[in-house]
Amino acid sequence: MASNSDLVSDTQRTLYPYVTGTSVVALKYKDGILMAADMGGSYGSTLRYKSIDRLKPIGKHSLLGASGEISDFQEILHYLDELILYDNMWDDGNSLGPKEVHNYLTQVMYNRRNKFNPLWNALVLGGVKNGQKYLGMVNMIGINFEDNHVATGLGNHLTRPILRDEWHENLTFEEGVKLLEKCMRVLLYRDRSAVNKIQISKITEEGATLFPPYSLKTYWEFTAFKNPTVGAEGSW
Amino acid sequence: MFRNQYDTDVTTWSPAGRLFQVEYAMEAVKQGSAAIGLRSKTHVVLACVNKANSELSSHQKKIFKVDDHIGVAIAGLTADGRVLSRYMRNECINYSYTYESPLPVGRLVVQLADKAQVCTQRSWKRPYGVGLLVGGLDESGAHLYYNCPSGNYFEYQAFAIGSRSQAAKTYLERKFENFMGSSREELIKDALIATRESLQGEKLRSSVCTVAVVGVGEPFHILDQETVQKLIDEFEIVREDEPPAEPQPPAEQDAPADQGTGADQGAAAASPDVAPMDI
Repeated sequence: MASNSDLVSDTQRTLYPYVTGTSVVALKYKDGILMAADMGGSYGSTLRYKSIDRLKPIGKHSLLGASGEISDFQEILHYLDELILYDNMWDDGNSLGPKEVHNYLTQVMYNRRNKFNPLWNALVLGGVKNGQKYLGMVNMIGINFEDNHVATGLGNHLTRPILRDEWHENLTFEEGVKLLEKCMRVLLYRDRSAVNKIQISKITEEGATLFPPYSLKTYWEFTAFKNPTVGAEGSW
Repeated sequence: MFRNQYDTDVTTWSPAGRLFQVEYAMEAVKQGSAAIGLRSKTHVVLACVNKANSELSSHQKKIFKVDDHIGVAIAGLTADGRVLSRYMRNECINYSYTYESPLPVGRLVVQLADKAQVCTQRSWKRPYGVGLLVGGLDESGAHLYYNCPSGNYFEYQAFAIGSRSQAAKTYLERKFENFMGSSREELIKDALIATRESLQGEKLRSSVCTVAVVGVGEPFHILDQETVQKLIDEFEIVREDEPPAEPQPPAEQDAPADQGTGADQGAAAASPDVAPMDI
């Protein structure tokens, strides 16, 4: 029996990503979820696009942040658009919450992975419904989980340790933003695909708010930055 | 209803704008044994009269668990009811699988109604001959719906379908205003009393009825015979003190059948001699 991957020629499948977004970081705070991402779209090693919106509200209760292939992200937005549309068409007072959207996305991502035609993304899905906060992640191979704070890509390695130390239940909005900025600053220093134009968005029971993009203040006068290779292995 | 020249096909309208086949399907529901449903803010109780054909056979299953948060009681062609229950279970499980969340009752009921409507508009199909009382829990609270063979559905505070359901409905009409605030026990008691009304003088025993409950923190489940009998015994004693609240049947009819002693099982069997209530 011919499977879909036999019938679909290589040029129709995602083999490698082209325009990619880097890390997304998100955490639960007192009133809901805070999410941050920069606005960069890299074309390989070129920082080609500097105004890509990687955080989008979904329905009334959720926020989606994506890293990875931007065109696949746009495809996912299209699927979710349809999902929310049909949900609204019931017109019956019920609505899909963040948990439902996250599980739907998990099914989509895992199914595509099984057909060897993945959507090359790592997605962060957060939201609040009926007072219940939800924050989850799903990536291109279908790995998914929920936690109090999540990150994608390099964020997993650089920012999760910070969050594990400094996150606590019932952060205020200001504390949450400060913590996110700290995470984004580390990424800015250390991730070569990061650009200094970040967007923070929050979602609470009242709805989603996307704040206008801004730049982080950076300090490059650290002594460690001045002569980075002094004393390195193999140097003299 | 009488036979006429417009009733052969479900796809034939009568000059008065009626689809007789659909109406005949609704008749089938009225012939089935009674099913009753009531709800409060937090619970839904379904009860039905379950009489076996003979002492040798088992009862027909009329209450089905559809999911942890939804159950259904049927009246009419039980085979149709079984098939529709399977459909409902499928829909619930598919939704749960994709969204890891329970399917809202309101949506299931609409899907069921749409399925029934299809059968009223295809010349090669016939309408389902079963009425369904769907009880379930949502984010928005407890709900009770009635799905008709016509493809209509209605939400109810309390309802009864099937044969001699009018007696139950009359009882429920008197009490329904308080149901929203009822406790779980009060609701079950009212369901059992309503079931007894449908039995029309026959003694209420757990062997002739089935009761199921779903509520906040309580997944849908059918109560076992022992529990039901205990509940019946509890309020049967209380009932002695109740003023004669039965709607129409003459007092003499009740007296021999419901005095609650074991010997009267024989008297109950004799009550078929008394003419059944005209609905």
